[in-house]
Order: sequence, then structure tokens, then C-alpha cells
Amino acid sequence: MTVSLHHFLMLSAILFGIGIFGALTRRNVLGILMSIELMFNAATINLVAFNRFLHPEQVWGQGLVIFVMTLAAAEAVVGLSLVLAIYRNIKSVYTEKMNILHG
Amino acid sequence: MEQTLPTMVFALLSVLLIGLSLVVVTARSVFRGAIALTAALGVVAGLFAFLGADFVAASQLLIYVGGIMIIMLFVIMLSQRPQDQYDRQTNEQWVWGAFFALAVSCALIMQFRSVYRGIFATTVAMPTTASIGRLLLGDMVVPFEAVSLVLLAALVGAVYFGLDDKDRT
Repeated sequence: MTVSLHHFLMLSAILFGIGIFGALTRRNVLGILMSIELMFNAATINLVAFNRFLHPEQVWGQGLVIFVMTLAAAEAVVGLSLVLAIYRNIKSVYTEKMNILHG
Repeated sequence: MEQTLPTMVFALLSVLLIGLSLVVVTARSVFRGAIALTAALGVVAGLFAFLGADFVAASQLLIYVGGIMIIMLFVIMLSQRPQDQYDRQTNEQWVWGAFFALAVSCALIMQFRSVYRGIFATTVAMPTTASIGRLLLGDMVVPFEAVSLVLLAALVGAVYFGLDDKDRT
């Protein structure tokens, strides 16, 4: 048995599911951010695997992964500084405490 | 049977990745979860190297493990209290969350199994750094410049939100 494309796709689907579970159920904002990083990584595994198995002569998938990483870094930086700013005000990182902005 | 070693490497990386990411989403201490996430991102870099994407594997280690996770660990250390070790870390809807995540995973897996079954690599992986560089400064130059603007905006935004209220005139 050799490793083929759908093994990678199944691995990334499982990883994406775990990320969704974390993002939906964590109380901690930092835990939610980490779960989102997991989902980003599931997507990048997909991109690199498609690049390797379907279009091995081109590198568009890998180039796109560089952009995904950059945007994940930007998202993490802004998100974490927002978390710190909220923590300074309400002294908590739990999502159910972040209800100042009532709808 | 000459393909046993790659299969074993892939199985090892998969088991490590799934186990570590389960630790990430279930660990009571969020610091422990962040350490597990660091290891999981390293395993993803290993998967990239397995797929022949050497430059992407190196930048995964540099940007994610060396950059994002360090910031995240600092923020966790700045924002945790000792009480957090004893609070529960999941909300009341975790059953429905697990159900939804399982449904999404199963749907994706079934779709992938039916569409992309039995596609094997036919070529030998070559180093890709030079061609990625040519791609980024050739066909992808517009998104490349746009993403540098996004990074600048993120930097300014992070500094702005990091300021105290009295400094923010």
C-alpha cells in the first residue's frame, strides 16, 4: 500500500473537524485562536497535497500556502493584541464574560 | 513491499498529528494546549517535507513554530490566572459541537474518498525554492504586494490595540 492523495485529504479532514470542535467548544479565547490555527493547517495540507499529486510540475499550491501562512500570522497578531486589550479591561479570557456589547 | 517505509512514516506523522491536535482542543491547561499545538505544527512541517515541499516546510517552522507560537505563548502567560487550572475549559454545547465537527469531517472524508481515490505521485519530488521565488515575483506579484500591505495594517493595528487608553489620543 502506497500513500496516495486521499490519505492526505482524509487526514486534513480529520484535522479540520478537530479544529471545528475546538473553535465551537473552547471557553477560552486563546483556545479558539489555536483551534483556528489547526483549521488553517488542515487547509494548507490540502493545498500542498493537491499540488504534489495533481500538478507536480507547478508550484501554485505551495505559493498559496505562503500567503495562507502570512495571513494567519497577521490574524494571530491582531487577535492576540485584541485579547490582551480585552483582558486589561475585564480581567478574563472567557468568552461568556465578553458580553459588554449587548445586542 | 518497497513502499513500506513512506507508508510507515506517513502513518506515524498522522497519528502524531491527530493525537497532538486532540490535546490542543481538550487540554485543561491552555498553556499545555499551546505546547501541543507547537508540536503539531512541527508535525505538519514534517508532512510538507514528506510531500516534497521543502521551502514550505522550512517557512512553516520559521513562521508558525518560531513566530506565531512564541507570541501566543507570551499572551497566554500574560493573561492566565492560577484559578484557570481548575475551571472547566469547554462550554455547555460540547455535545452538539462534537456532533457538528464529526458531521463535517465525515462529509469531507466521504466526498474525498469518492472523488480522489487512487491518485498516486508519479514524479520524484524536486527542490522548489527557486520556482516558488520566480512564482512570487512573477505571476503572483500583485497578491505578494497586497499581502505586504495587509501585514503593515496588522502591525499598526496590533500597536494601536496594545496601547493604553490614555496614550491613545
